[in-house]
Amino acid sequence: MHPEPGAVLSIRNLSKLYKDFTALDRISLDVRRGEKVVVLGPSGSGKSTLIRCLNRIEPHDSGSLHINGQTITARTDLIRLRALVGLVFQNYNLFPHLNVLDNCALAPRLVRKMPRAQAEALAMRFLQQVNIAGQARKYPIQLSGGQQQRVAIARALCMQPEIMLFDEPTAALDPEAVSGVATIMNDLAAQGITILCVTHEMRFARHIADRIVFMDQGRIMEITPPGQFFTNPQTRRAQDFLNQMIA
Amino acid sequence: MTPVMAWFRRPHATCVMVGILAAMLAGAGTARADTPPPLPGFIHDGALTVCTNPTLPPMTFVNGTDVKAVDGIDMDIARTLAAYWHVKLTVTTMDFTGLFPSLAAGRCGLVASGIIRLPQRERNFDAVAYQDTALVIVARAGTHPLGGMAELSGRKVAVQAGTSYSARMARENEALAAAGHAPMIITAYPTEEQVVQQVLLGRAFALASQDVELAYRREQLHGRVRVIFTPPYPEYRHFALYIRKDAHDRALLEQAVATLRDNGQMAAIAQKWAITPDTTQALGATAPAFHWGTFFGALTSAAFMRGAFITLAVAVLSHLTAIAISLPMALVLNGRDCVLKTGLTAYVALFRGAPTLLQLLFIWNALPQFLPFFREAWFTPFLATWLSLSINESAYQVEINRAALLAVDPAQAVAGHALGLSRGQVYRHVIFPQALRIALPPTINAFISLLKTTSLASVISVQELLAVTQIQVARTFEFTEYYAAALVYYLAMVFFFLLVQKRVERRFSWADQYRAGTHAS
Repeated sequence: MHPEPGAVLSIRNLSKLYKDFTALDRISLDVRRGEKVVVLGPSGSGKSTLIRCLNRIEPHDSGSLHINGQTITARTDLIRLRALVGLVFQNYNLFPHLNVLDNCALAPRLVRKMPRAQAEALAMRFLQQVNIAGQARKYPIQLSGGQQQRVAIARALCMQPEIMLFDEPTAALDPEAVSGVATIMNDLAAQGITILCVTHEMRFARHIADRIVFMDQGRIMEITPPGQFFTNPQTRRAQDFLNQMIA
Repeated sequence: MTPVMAWFRRPHATCVMVGILAAMLAGAGTARADTPPPLPGFIHDGALTVCTNPTLPPMTFVNGTDVKAVDGIDMDIARTLAAYWHVKLTVTTMDFTGLFPSLAAGRCGLVASGIIRLPQRERNFDAVAYQDTALVIVARAGTHPLGGMAELSGRKVAVQAGTSYSARMARENEALAAAGHAPMIITAYPTEEQVVQQVLLGRAFALASQDVELAYRREQLHGRVRVIFTPPYPEYRHFALYIRKDAHDRALLEQAVATLRDNGQMAAIAQKWAITPDTTQALGATAPAFHWGTFFGALTSAAFMRGAFITLAVAVLSHLTAIAISLPMALVLNGRDCVLKTGLTAYVALFRGAPTLLQLLFIWNALPQFLPFFREAWFTPFLATWLSLSINESAYQVEINRAALLAVDPAQAVAGHALGLSRGQVYRHVIFPQALRIALPPTINAFISLLKTTSLASVISVQELLAVTQIQVARTFEFTEYYAAALVYYLAMVFFFLLVQKRVERRFSWADQYRAGTHAS
């Protein structure tokens, strides 16, 4: 099987094993440029493992992965790959010893070898985009969860990736902060950045998704537009999942 | 060099003068004309190396505030011997217990430290007697003289550790036990002045020492002690110079000592140090008081400042080395199982398990026996201390490092990698700065502990602060004043580093919400 033309991300029969446990079982998925794909599924279904495989924080065991037409293997330059694919974590994972500006400017300085002034200017640009530039000199511990998550998004954006991966970005946020993150994601997609987001948050998923990928036990059960997924899921497993979430 | 020797070396000396000198010296029997006597094997590279523990006046001690200037009968004899062989003299000072191991290790050619000639010692070393003496039992002034050693039954007797007195007293105890008496209670102290102090404080009833020393101590003691008995021990009659076993060297040394005795140089030295034993006489005792002049004098003395500097230098160098070694060690120990990890685990267990003093003595005294490399002159006591304290401290520091590295959230490294940082960059910019904050307080704590551990180095003759203090106490008997001055130095150094710690911790305000707030605004 060949990657679909026009897809920024193509996954073919991707599997990941932890000893005897199959975390990902022959996953196949194509994502277009600028698309927002939300991955849903119960705990342990392999959603987080999937997106961690996409920038090789977790290497896959079999199958193939193509990003921008390039096949990702053990020999791929990880530094270039990760500049192309940004990752935002559930717990933000900001660097506590650096202030907001330095958190954002660190990777451009070290990886892209940017001079400090240029890296900071870049950081300020993305901090403005996520509307947190006023806190640039503060340390992470002084910010609220929502503010920290916006800094984490700005930090990933500073590497100017084409694909942004979000691993449950709203799990630790209050509803107001959740809608702030949703707005940012829509902005990013409008700029042509492709988004893959793992979440538990149904309303959030419905609000941002172009397509919903539903996973269970390491496999993709169905891929549907959100309107159809939430009203008329195709699999029994998805129905059970939605009933549980609503109950 | 004596004036006589200097004459010999003058190139313009006329035949007449040489003739006169030769005539003068003919009776004395020194080396004739310009040819020095044959050199014994323990003289290397034109130097006679003498080891001594300068805490036994008047035999060997520091007669002033310069701790490097060793003085006394033994030193005068060493100087005279060096002049006799036309070689230069090198004096190394160390703890008494280190003398014979150092001689065995070849670190000195000769031990001259007021040591009694004893058959037990002559089993392993050759001894040449040079000064008559007698063992005496000394108690506080006003104590009645004893009729015999049996009267010490059940009493406390203090002796200097490492000397033969404790063995001799043990034999006396066997005799007491055989006669159905209670034994003496023998207590050993590392230096002679501490032995005397136990008697002055009333903690010990009596002490065993040499009449020669007591004669010299009379002035310092202000007649507070007296000789109560002189046991008839035939073997305690001579101070001896010790060398490694070598019949030829021994004959040459005996010949040299005989020459000095015959030409009157020995007598001149004895007279210089006024060994005219009259210790039974008790003078009026003076009340002990704190002498502020002595205290401030010590505080501002070059000797104390130099001692404090050496203490500081040993501690700082050792700890920096320990940190440098322990960082890669911690990374290996936190990593996957491998042979290296097993080896390092054993290293940590060994050096945390063994007493620091034992490690120090092992490296200084035992190591050169296996590796002659460490016998060479470049391996100084300072280097030995640096080496052993670095190794010792690294075993503790590695645990601090390990804990600090483990305390950094592993998600931090994942976040760094996700941004494209390399492994090295993640350590350098993400993990180390956070681990440093966690490691800093226990590290400063360990350093302060190390700063005080350096005092162990006095055992292998490093002239650090405590060694300087003890040498001054041995010279003056003013315990309180010199101890207080040392205390002031140690406290000043520790408080300085606590201040540094506070300063550095303030830089880590990012970990503290309240202070980070004040920092940012």
